[in-house]
Amino acid sequence: MSALVGAANCVSSPSDLRTYECDGLTSFRVTPSLVVLPASTEEVAAVVRLARELGLAVVARGAGTGLSGGALPVPGGVVVALTRMKKILEVDLENGFLRVQPGVANLDVSRHLAPFGTYYAPDPSSQSVCTIGGNVSENSGGAHCLKYGFTSNHVLGARIVLADGAVVDVGGPALDAPGYDLMGTFVGSEGMLGIVTEVVLRMLRKPQATRTFFATFPSTDEAGNAVSSIIASGVVPAAIEMMDRLAMRAAVAATGLDWPDVGASLLMDVDGPLAEVEHTSRHSVDLARAAGALEIRIPKDENERALMWKGRKSAFAAVGRISPNYIVQDGVIPRSSIAEVLHEIEALSKSAGLRVANVFHAGDGNLHPLVLYDAKVPGQEKAAEELGGAILRLCLRLGGSITGEHGVGAEKAVYMGEMFGEDDLETMHRVRCAFDPERRLNPGKVFPTPRLCGDRPGPYVPHPTEVSGEATRG
Amino acid sequence: MSATGALAVRPGTEADAILGVVPKEVFSPADVEDARAVLGETARTGASVGFVGGGTALGLGRPPRRLDAVLRTERLTRIVEYAPSDQIVVVEAGLTLDALQRAVAAHRQRLAIDPPLPARRTIGGLVATNGFGPRRTRYGSLRDLIIGVSLVRADGALAKGGGKVVKNVAGFDLPKMMVGSLGTLGLVATVTLRLHPLPEVDVTLVAGKKTARDVRNLVAAMRDAQLEPAAVAALSTGPLFEVAIRFEGFPAGVAEQRDRLVPLVAKTSGGACEVLPEAAARAFWERHDALRTAGPLRAKVAMLPSAFEEFPEGWSGTLLRLLEAPSVVLYPTLGISFFSGVPSPDPAQGAAALASARAALAPAGGSLVLEEAPDGVRALVDPWGPPPPSFALMRALKDRLDPDGRLNPGRFVGGI
Repeated sequence: MSALVGAANCVSSPSDLRTYECDGLTSFRVTPSLVVLPASTEEVAAVVRLARELGLAVVARGAGTGLSGGALPVPGGVVVALTRMKKILEVDLENGFLRVQPGVANLDVSRHLAPFGTYYAPDPSSQSVCTIGGNVSENSGGAHCLKYGFTSNHVLGARIVLADGAVVDVGGPALDAPGYDLMGTFVGSEGMLGIVTEVVLRMLRKPQATRTFFATFPSTDEAGNAVSSIIASGVVPAAIEMMDRLAMRAAVAATGLDWPDVGASLLMDVDGPLAEVEHTSRHSVDLARAAGALEIRIPKDENERALMWKGRKSAFAAVGRISPNYIVQDGVIPRSSIAEVLHEIEALSKSAGLRVANVFHAGDGNLHPLVLYDAKVPGQEKAAEELGGAILRLCLRLGGSITGEHGVGAEKAVYMGEMFGEDDLETMHRVRCAFDPERRLNPGKVFPTPRLCGDRPGPYVPHPTEVSGEATRG
Repeated sequence: MSATGALAVRPGTEADAILGVVPKEVFSPADVEDARAVLGETARTGASVGFVGGGTALGLGRPPRRLDAVLRTERLTRIVEYAPSDQIVVVEAGLTLDALQRAVAAHRQRLAIDPPLPARRTIGGLVATNGFGPRRTRYGSLRDLIIGVSLVRADGALAKGGGKVVKNVAGFDLPKMMVGSLGTLGLVATVTLRLHPLPEVDVTLVAGKKTARDVRNLVAAMRDAQLEPAAVAALSTGPLFEVAIRFEGFPAGVAEQRDRLVPLVAKTSGGACEVLPEAAARAFWERHDALRTAGPLRAKVAMLPSAFEEFPEGWSGTLLRLLEAPSVVLYPTLGISFFSGVPSPDPAQGAAALASARAALAPAGGSLVLEEAPDGVRALVDPWGPPPPSFALMRALKDRLDPDGRLNPGRFVGGI
């Protein structure tokens, strides 16, 4: 490998390898046998080819901010870290796209575009660090995807290194290339279908105006009703975020904001042409009041607005101020059941004897319950994991999803069988086999039970080498 | 193949032909379970199957290599679930777009796509063919609105992907995989869609006598001015375009954008920009729909938006010279256009013109797909053009999903 990428770009000492043993989900750790940091498509392809010759599993990795263990190494496998590939290769303003390498940080794309009055819409909370390559793998979302969509709505094309080392271009800046939508199929495939080495992103013109308000409520019931009535009125908010009392307390502890100690709050953005947003923001404020808002705050200037958003975006990490440990959960419910689900979470939290702080993208029903616990107390970590699982099952019971933006990864593979049936999973597995018949890329993720790719798809039959214990599955 | 009791079956006739290939049998399953039984039966007998919804896009693609049976979705017309407060709907594949729009309009909602022929086009057919209209300018295409799918595989298994919530990243994106796959990976059985609120007001402005360069400049000026049109479409039956700009939303925002557009048109290319009264606006969009479905030859051209500027020269000149009474519908922000007309009587000449236009479009990633063509032209030209660089992957995907190659064999890109 060092011949391919240079010795300086191979990490093999046990102490250095530890940097790569987990991503943002630190409770899952595996030390890889080698980490390589290629600098070009050709190097990535060469590394993947060599890994194949050596029979090694390959796990691609960006900044390692993922929260589901999607970049968790495989024992004995190679990690391909794409952090050196961070060039912005092309910006085409008129045609509305740019071409970047996968290691570019999400926020750096929008920073680069700012002088042109354009931006890249998906804005995951980790956007100052997380990479475009990771965003493509996870189909990352963010606060503003209610109106603007997710990564998959903003990726036009990619250059992909496949599991056999072949390099293929999929999609591109011109729309509707004949054939299957391989790009749409690829985004969100969690590193199991290939490694992107260039990505064509859609850029958007900045909206003319943005209006923000922050509203407090006695409880999450009134806040939930406010969300429902705003959406029912025909307004499509750019973002509408809810925090409960505990999450607000944490944000206040971390940032010193002067938020009151109340049951819930909403932070909402509308954007678009000026006259439109003046109407929709005024209208939304009226609806929030009618739903029982205690107080409405409208930022005086951009600085105040940024502070409000900082409070919201800091909420995850801020929970560390009020609890020694916590689990960030990610589930989705139909938006209309927000109030109901929060009561059920409260009941689950009481019976588990653990506190849950709720921060979420209310407009699209994407919950981020933060389960607080103390790892030093025997049994609490396990109880916290169980509580997280119970919340996911609650999401499924209401017709939702086990993940809205963090991905399935290593963490939630066990829940996939509860959301999808055997035929669903088997069909997804066939897609995987079409791209990676040897299951060399990121094995062990997403799918709840290991499967082989037969020469011909059919019912699962254990491979002879698997029965004899020579081959690992996944 | 024989019919089971529950399955409506009749012998195929000329009227059931897909690109001239007459099926032996036609099935009209009453529900998704019936459809599974049909596909399961074909798996046992090895029969090849094509799927037909509203039958509006049967001219798309190559003639199927084999067509033992046709499965019509005409009876799969249920709205399985509609949650207005969550703005999602789950429908069976055979529901027409009009029927869907009527059902959700009761709650002042809509599916934000507007292809021509909505009374005939079915949701399943729209998914299979990636159908769209001018509102794609603002709302994207079906790939941006589909959040879940269930498909009946070639072996009769029912598989679902996505879900019923707008935000969801669990599992591979089977819904997007199905968009545009033309019935070659499975039968689209049910589709879950994101809905949008109906706008309170809707206004269309039209500016006439614009060159392709004027259109380009106007689009750039609108972008600079941060206007957010719901649709921009340019129609032409000669060298110049009539450009329509549609604004939708709340009254104040629509009025303000309308008022800012008028001077913008004057500034970029001179001339008036007329605010159409309701009836005239309706007539304009009807004419748009008519041009989109016109002509014995119709080509969809996709390219970078800036590449259209050379119209009516270059690759577009080649196409225009081929056609008698040509008409063009251009979506300038998307870089997609539809050329239609009557091709010259010499098919070889037509084939040469199409090949030359394709060659000119290809270097920048552009493509030309024939949506309709006379038999003479079809005999000489692949309607899809040369397979894309990722064709081996497409082939692999097809082979995994339909290992016996029984679903619409040969009709899709590269003979898939």
